Amino acid sequence: MIKLLAAIKKEALILLRDRVGLAVLFLMPMILIFVMTLIQDSAFKSLNERGIPIIFVDNDKDSLGISIELGLRNSGMCTFNNMIDGKPATAEMIEKAVSDGKFLVGIVVPKGATEAIRSNVKVLVQQTLGVSDSLQKPTDSVEIAIYIDPITKKSFLTSVTSSLREFISEIKTKIMFQTFSEQISELIPDKNNAPENAFSQSQIIKYKEVYASKQIGEIVPNAVQHNVPAWAIFAMFFIVLPLAGSMVKEKSEGSVLRLQTVPTSYLVFLNGKIIVYIAVCLIQLALMLSVGKIFLPMLGLPTLVIGNSILGIILLSVSTAFAATGYGVMMGTIAKTEQQGAIMGSLSVLLLSAIGGVWVPTYVMPELMRDISIVSPLNWALNGFYELFLRGGGIVDVVGDSLKLICFFIFTMVVSLIVNRYKRKV
Amino acid sequence: MSDKPIIQVESLTKTFEGADKPAVDGVTLSIHKNEIFGLLGPNGAGKTTTISILCGLYSASNGKVEIDGKNSKNNIDHIKQIIGVVPQDIALYQTLSARENLNFYGAMYGLQGKDLKNKIELWLNNFGLIESADKRLSTYSGGMKRRVNLIAGILHNPKILFLDEPTVGVDVQSRNVIIEHLKELNKSGMTIIYTSHHMEEAEHFCSRVAIIDYGKIIVEGSPKELISGNAGCRNLEDVFLHLTKRALRD
Ligand SMILES: Nc1ncnc2c1ncn2[C@@H]1O[C@H](COP(=O)(O)OP(=O)(O)OP(=O)(O)O)[C@@H](O)[C@H]1O
Ligand SMILES: [Mg+2]
Repeated sequence: MIKLLAAIKKEALILLRDRVGLAVLFLMPMILIFVMTLIQDSAFKSLNERGIPIIFVDNDKDSLGISIELGLRNSGMCTFNNMIDGKPATAEMIEKAVSDGKFLVGIVVPKGATEAIRSNVKVLVQQTLGVSDSLQKPTDSVEIAIYIDPITKKSFLTSVTSSLREFISEIKTKIMFQTFSEQISELIPDKNNAPENAFSQSQIIKYKEVYASKQIGEIVPNAVQHNVPAWAIFAMFFIVLPLAGSMVKEKSEGSVLRLQTVPTSYLVFLNGKIIVYIAVCLIQLALMLSVGKIFLPMLGLPTLVIGNSILGIILLSVSTAFAATGYGVMMGTIAKTEQQGAIMGSLSVLLLSAIGGVWVPTYVMPELMRDISIVSPLNWALNGFYELFLRGGGIVDVVGDSLKLICFFIFTMVVSLIVNRYKRKV
Repeated sequence: MSDKPIIQVESLTKTFEGADKPAVDGVTLSIHKNEIFGLLGPNGAGKTTTISILCGLYSASNGKVEIDGKNSKNNIDHIKQIIGVVPQDIALYQTLSARENLNFYGAMYGLQGKDLKNKIELWLNNFGLIESADKRLSTYSGGMKRRVNLIAGILHNPKILFLDEPTVGVDVQSRNVIIEHLKELNKSGMTIIYTSHHMEEAEHFCSRVAIIDYGKIIVEGSPKELISGNAGCRNLEDVFLHLTKRALRD
């Protein structure tokens, strides 16, 4: 016990003196949370704000107009109207209605908009596929008019315009993919294999997944709900850098050699490390959660909602901390030089985080990537946090992910001990 | 000197993986309690390899090692309790202070509390390190690091002490201090096995020496015996040059 305490103390001191390591562990993830959340906020916000009175005129009466209307009606982000004072709204009436303050935002989809997009896209697609002569030029872009009440609060404004912009571009993409697959299915006789289905399905799933909340409608995904847990997990796994670094240093500085001559098991020594780094992971997580709870709201961003299962959070956090620490120990055992440890460690964590949905949530990934993402321990952890923070799940909902993370820890320990035994044999 | 040697080495051979020649080649040695035994030899002779096998760092390819009457193969835990090791390369945490390093290694030897604290203070004092005891090791001079490296191996007052070139790169002043304190430890009952390139130091320090070259022991005896036994040699260095040169010609 005394030995373990001494090992813990030593490890903590070494870490505290590793300025770069500390910056990587605590500063970097905080900066990442701020930056990524600010960048992604508008994109997510479209799903978040609600109750803005919107007046809508559809002169298109085709895919684009219908989809926007459906989208506005179903999203719950605004109060949808297409009548002004009991009369069907027209493009001419809208500007006045908005400037009178009857509505905060007015949207007009012009006649033939869908057709214009279609033909634009068709030309582009044909050119891309090399089906047509390249002499055809795309026609002018479609113009959707958005009227905004000048007194509307700025945050409302950006929220509405950006969500609208996002919505429109999504529909454009959809049309593009439809056209694309139509063109392709003309080229490929077997229509069942055309990529159209895969794409549209993945889009549907995106929204379904996002709204799957156990407390219906209460917690809506936004940039904060994704970025805080995602980067906290990323930061926890990034302990690989200082942890593997210090382990390789111990080898090169000869401490490991000396420790082989003392009457203390290597495990005591390893446990000291594991305990310190698990504590670091938990501090990181607590820090990141408080960033989401306290600092992000100060920037006008949504507050982090952590659900209502403290036990669930504790179980998942500790499991994630074990997995991250085990990963660092494994890398530190395998790496031969500090450089090797740093490069191998950080690159692999970057890769695992990208696959695992830290940078871009898995629910907007293509299906193939979503299937691949389940190999990343960061993905298990992130799924667990979604379960708690987005879907309002409890401890039972994260037992599976936690178990996977603990198994991963055991796996890394076994690998480390085997590699270590093999390397020590001189 | 007691009858039963505290260290008994028989036909010890070690061939590293991939090496064509053995680094240690049939070494047989008996070291008795309370001896200061010097293992001398040129670079690459096999000194470090021999010591590393004795303290359980390397496994032998062949031969037998008995320490404190116990076979080293299956009693490594007991042996670790009674030995102290001072490696040839500084083996300390560079970002920790001397005191923090010693606290850690002392604890790994099972020392604790006041006892550990007192021993650390005593040795830091003995080796003139008290004033810089709380500075990071990376700011120390080579000689200071070597002294801390030494303390880390003797804090727990081991029965047997392995010293691999403890005075390399150390100035005359600290060399004398180190040797004096080691002699005192020996008087209080510590058996010391020591390697060095420094023949004059070995001549005065060791009760018995063995000269090793190409992994083989060439000659063994007290410094006096060796000097008088080799005609024309006035000191151990003459003996060393005489013997290892001839060995080169062979
Ligand atoms: N880990 C190792 N793997 C392979 N060969 C080794 C290893 N350690 C030592 N050797 C080789 O074994 C031989 C003996 O080396 P050793 O370190 O025991 O010599 P030494 O007498 O301690 O030399 P020095 O005085 O330079 O410290 C050398 O030829 C060396 O190259
Ligand atoms: Mg050596």
